[in-house]
Order: sequence, then C-alpha cells, then structure tokens
Amino acid sequence: MITFDAVSLIYPNSTKTVLENLSLTIDEGEFVLVIGPTGSGKSSLLRLINGLVPHHTGGILAGNISVDGISTQLVKPGGLAHLIGIVGQNPVNGFVTDTVEEELAFGMESLNIAPDVMRKRVEEILDLMSLAPLRDRSLATLSGGEQQRVAIGSALVMHPKVLVLDEPTSALDPIAAEEVLSILHRLVHDLGLTVIVAEHRLERVIQFADRIVHIDGLGNARVGTPAQIMSDSDIAPPIVHLARALGLEDVGLTVRDMRRMSEQIRGGSYSHSIEKLVISNETVIEISDLSLSFESQSVLNDINIKICAGEVIALMGRNGAGKSSLLKTIVGLHKATSGTVSVLGNNPLTISGSKRRETIGFIPQEPSDLLYGQSVIMECQQADVDNEIEEGTTFELLSELVPGISPQTHPRDLSEGQRLALALSVVLSAKPKVLILDEPTRGLDYQAKSHLISTLLHYARVLGRTVILATHDVELVAELATRVIFLADGDCVADGKTLDVLLSSPAFAPQVAKVMSPQPWLTVKDVINALQVNQ
Amino acid sequence: MKTSALVRFRPRTLFVLSLTSAVSACGFMWPFLINAKSVSVASIFFWAASAFAIALVIVEISNDSLDAKSIALLGVLTAAVAALRPLGAGAVGIEPMWFLLILSARVFGSSFGFILGLTSILTSALLTGGIGPWLGYQLFAAGWIGLFAGWLPKKIRGKPEIFMLVLYAIAASLIFGLLMDLQFWPWALGLETQLSYIPNGDIATNLNRFIVFHFATSMAWDIPRAILTSTLIILSAPAILGALRRTKFRAAFVTPIEFVDSKNAAIERAKELKAL
Repeated sequence: MITFDAVSLIYPNSTKTVLENLSLTIDEGEFVLVIGPTGSGKSSLLRLINGLVPHHTGGILAGNISVDGISTQLVKPGGLAHLIGIVGQNPVNGFVTDTVEEELAFGMESLNIAPDVMRKRVEEILDLMSLAPLRDRSLATLSGGEQQRVAIGSALVMHPKVLVLDEPTSALDPIAAEEVLSILHRLVHDLGLTVIVAEHRLERVIQFADRIVHIDGLGNARVGTPAQIMSDSDIAPPIVHLARALGLEDVGLTVRDMRRMSEQIRGGSYSHSIEKLVISNETVIEISDLSLSFESQSVLNDINIKICAGEVIALMGRNGAGKSSLLKTIVGLHKATSGTVSVLGNNPLTISGSKRRETIGFIPQEPSDLLYGQSVIMECQQADVDNEIEEGTTFELLSELVPGISPQTHPRDLSEGQRLALALSVVLSAKPKVLILDEPTRGLDYQAKSHLISTLLHYARVLGRTVILATHDVELVAELATRVIFLADGDCVADGKTLDVLLSSPAFAPQVAKVMSPQPWLTVKDVINALQVNQ
Repeated sequence: MKTSALVRFRPRTLFVLSLTSAVSACGFMWPFLINAKSVSVASIFFWAASAFAIALVIVEISNDSLDAKSIALLGVLTAAVAALRPLGAGAVGIEPMWFLLILSARVFGSSFGFILGLTSILTSALLTGGIGPWLGYQLFAAGWIGLFAGWLPKKIRGKPEIFMLVLYAIAASLIFGLLMDLQFWPWALGLETQLSYIPNGDIATNLNRFIVFHFATSMAWDIPRAILTSTLIILSAPAILGALRRTKFRAAFVTPIEFVDSKNAAIERAKELKAL
C-alpha cells in the first residue's frame, strides 16, 4: 500500500537530514506504530505519506514515496485526499463546523460528492464510530475522546485506504484513549484499513501494533515486529523494562504474557523492607470542610486534607471528578463556597505579588498559558526581573532541565516537553514553597517524563518543598508520589500511601503492579530492590 | 518547484483594481464632479464600482494564486477584524478594528491588505446588520487602507516602524472620516440647512459647504478614531507584528521543493541553497 524507497529529507534553511535512506513497505491492513523521541522526525514521516511534506512545507526529498501506486512527487496533497485520511493530536484544531453531522459531511462537500451519497456515508460513519446519539451535538460540548472519534470519523467518510494519526491519544485520559484505540483496532480488522500511528505512550498502544518503525533522532530508522524492536529499544513501556531487568528471554508486550513468564518470580515469598520516607510534620496546606459549587452545581463536597512539607501528592480521578477545581481552589483561582483553605497560614485568595510567587507556583494544563514572551530568553529575563534574582539564573535552570534550547526560539515553537520545562523553570525561579501541576505529562515522551520526575523528586526530597499534581498517568504516580488522593464526583474517596491506593484497585494499578500482583511492587526499581534484598 | 506564494495581485488584476478604484473615487467625489439633478442619481456610479470590486475578489480567489494557506490566513484574520469591529459599538468612531487591518497588511502585503479590508468589512456588516448604501463606500475605503499600509517602506523595523504605523493610522483614520462624510453629507442633512449639498449648485460653494460640514462634525468621530487606533498600535504592535511575522515564516510561502535521487545529492543541494 505504501512504499518508501531510500527516502531522505532535509527541511529548508537547514542541512540536517531528518530521515536518512528510509526504505519501508507497509501492506494493506497493517497497523504500524511510529516511535521515537520528540523532534526525531515522526511527524515528518507521517506527513510525507500524504505529501504535506514537502509540498506544503518546502524541503529537499531524496528517494520516492508511493501510496497505492501514486508517487507523492507528482501529486499534491489535495489529490491524495480521497486516499489518505489524517488526524492530528488535538481534534479541536481541525474542526471546521459546529455540529457532529456537519463536521462529518464537510470533507465530502470539499470533494464534491453527491448529496445522496453524502447522506448515506454520514449515517454509515455515525454507526461505525458509535456517534449516532451525538449526531446533533455541538462539537464544543463533546468530551476529548468523543471529539477524537468525530475527527477520525470525518477522515473516514472519504473512504480512505490509509489513515494516518499523529499522537491521537496524547491529549486524552486513559479511558478516552482506550476508546479511540479500540476503534482503530476494529477498523484495521473489519475494514482492512491501513493505519499508521505515532505515539509516545507505548503502554497504551503497543499491543495493537503489527509492526513498529523506530526513529532514533539521528535520521536512522529501524523497522520490525514489536518483539524485535522492543528487545533493545531505548523507548519502551514499563513491562518491557521489567522483562529486561528480570533477564527474561522474550519481552512480553501485554500484561497477560508477562504474568505467564514471570510466574516463578512473583510466586516466591519476600520480606518487604519499606523505604522510610522522612516527611516533616510541618503542615503546609490545610483544607477543612471545603465545598465548591458553580451555579448550584456542586463540584467539591466536604474535602478535608492536610499536606505536609516534602510530600508529593498525586490527585487522581476521572475527567470531571473535580481535580482541576481542587487545584485551582488551593491556588486561589476559585473562591470556596464554604470551608477554608490555608497555605502556610495564608488565604490563597488574598496573597499577591512576589509573596504569591514565593508561596505557590502553579503550572496549568497548557503550560503555554503562562508564556507571553516573544522568545525563550525574554521569558527567562522577565522571570529574573520579577523575582529580583541574578540575571541568567532562570535560563541556567532551564538548561539544567533540558539542555540545548536556543535562547532565541519562540516559546510556541518548542516541543511539549521543552515548553513544560520553560514554564517550570519560570515558576521554580521564584522558589515557591508549594508547586502545583495540572496534568504535567500530556504529550511528553519518556525522556522528558523522566527529566520531570527527577526535577520534582529533587524539589520535594532535597529541598523539602511540597508538590501536588493532578494526573491520569499511573506510571508517573508510581514513580513519584508519596501519597495519592482519589476524587470521584467531588468527593474524596481514597487518601493514603501511593502503594496502598494503587494496589487496591486493579484498574488504576501501574503495569508492573498488574504483572507482579499480589507482590506489592509498583515500579521496575521496586522489583529489583526486592529481589536483591532477598537474594 | 516552490511552495505556493502569499496572494499577490498580478499586473492585470492591478489594472482592473485601479480602474474600479477610479470609478469608486468618482462615487465619493460626485458632488463636486457633476451637477446631479438629485441625490440618488449619483449613487449609480458607485454601485457599478462595488460590483466590479466584488467581481475582482471572486476572480482573484478562484484563480490559483490564492491557495489553501492564503485562504486560511485570510479567513482567520477576517474573523478577527470583523469580530473586533462591533466591540466599540461604533459610537463616536470607536471601532477597534483598524489597527489589526493595518498591522496585517503591513506584514502580508498590499494585495492581501486590500482583500482583507473588503472581506472584513463585508463580514462585520453581516454580523452587525450594518448593510446599507454606505457599505460599498466602506468596502473601498477599508480596502484602500489595507492596500496603502502594504505599500509602506518594508525595511523600517523596530521603534521607527511603530512610529511610521502610528502616523499612517492617524492619516488613515482622518481620511476614512473624510470619505465617509463625503458619501454621507449630500443626503444626511436634508436640503434646507446652511451646510447642505445644493443639487445643481456651484462646485466651489458645495466644496466650501462640505469642508465646513466636515470640520464641524469630524472632531467627534475622526479624532477618537485616530486616538484609539494609534493607541492600540502602540500597545499591541510589537506582539502582533511578531506573531504575524512568525505565522508568515511558519507558513513557508515560496520555499523551495526539490526532488533528488540520493541522500548525498540532497545534502549537496541543501548546502547550495543555504549558500544562496
């Protein structure tokens, strides 16, 4: 279906090859996963398939790419629209119309398809994507998973033979991601559609892939079955790291496979030495009887939490459970309907200016909401001036977090991970006593995530500050948090040590815990430590 | 081969544009050019010019010089400008839209500026229900503001650039007011006042009456408009110009597309291009 024949790519105004001599054949009905660190050329590879690169961006292309026998050199992207559907990371950016039905019909309207055919196809897609109950809904009122389904549906109405998705689940919570991936899986198996997906979170998608293209960031690419690639790839989900650490011969790609392979190990009996964390008794945040409601709709009910210095708190729960509302109330963006919040004895609603910056640092879901400067260096200088610290301190902090960012880059041209690091260094330059992050790992690759984890661990353990984060990412929680608070419908339903809360519910357990259950291990490190102690 | 260019009028289009502009200028100036028997006869001139202008835009959009990227830019900026216009409720000339039109035309050029002027006035008229005999005049006036803003010297950057744009904004606001008064004056006052247009009258008398009328009324409209537009430019120009220029760069207009046989040939070619 798709052939890449010795393809190399160079973007305009540069001499760096993004891809080097990539040869690859993708057959009809294959599910191909593209992995690689941020900036390695995953998106370029996907956009080469429908000719957006180089027809839209410019550039020098060596070699040939053909899709269904058509060479992309000769045909512009518009001429391939009936053949290739493309879906981006954030579905909202691609929407043109207001309602689900109109959005589905829009692409066909552009391809000049007869009205009766359009009606039929819209119905067909509504059923295929289980969107029928939502047909008249406004796109803005849909959940993230529903929006992504509409975006996929509006690509599928053109009856493409190939569907290309660039990080389709990185903006979604685990349940919505599951929804989208299982639909893709069905499309491949029921319709013989060829699907190419770029994704960071391998634990979500790897079990669906037939083959993996691994790009290493220097332009080289490897193609192989998931088992081949995972045997030595640096980018791998936690269970693969587990298999390697245990020295197993094969890598298991699903929890089921890994459980079968590790039966002996987890069957043994181990004495558990629990790492004692020293947490001071100094109360930093005290929330008592907190309730919050917007226009008679209750968002938080009677929350009582006490948080000490040095703790890392993970706030978990479904979308709409009240995680962000609780964070914003602690920051002082929402006024509590009843009850009190105090941060170091202050009411967060009343503190302002430099005292606020030194007390609470907040990084919202979209870190670029904090960034106004025209360049990275302007943003850093502003932070230096605001916090009355020596010039260059913020940029130094940023270079420690992620080396190699050019100071003249516009903040919006940075990758997700770099942008988060910039926002984080601006906030951390004020040395806040409490650091609050809302969904910090959306769109981050494994490398950026491990940078984030070590930064936050340093901040909490070494400097003794408090970190609170709202997240869906159980793997992050397992690595980082000392305590988990679980919210459901505005109530606090669980509050306890990370180990206890995560192990008590199988759905929220990290992959390693699922494999090693009933042993109380959350991360690969836990497993290795336990095995070493008991040798 | 290169990626598509930002919309740019070809010589032929420019010729048609100057022709329609001349006709529409007559539409503005008619009280001094002809001895019309009645007020309504004159507006015929002007409708002819409007029809031309709209035809011009359609021709320009349907030929291939306006590609997907230009249309996307035009659509987004039209929506932004049109949405800004009703914010000031139009009272005493406070229409916070001109600054964005001027800044966009500055970055994307005169042809784009002209089309943006037309489309944004048309869209905002539909939004506010402001459709009437004055619409055609406004279309042209806005188009010209965009067109001339695109002709300002390109090389000036930094503070002098903002100073130049502020001067332009003041001039544009005042001239826009003058033009609107021109189309408004003949029929707005009735025929009885001392400043009214005299059909069949002496041109010098009419001109005199118009100038008095303009300065008597313009204080309340044109000066607030000029102050608002130039203040908005001073406040927002560094950020907006930066954002628009970044958009223009990212959209990669007129960037080379080349196909070569091997990786080494690609690297060679990239070096050659970079050397240029």
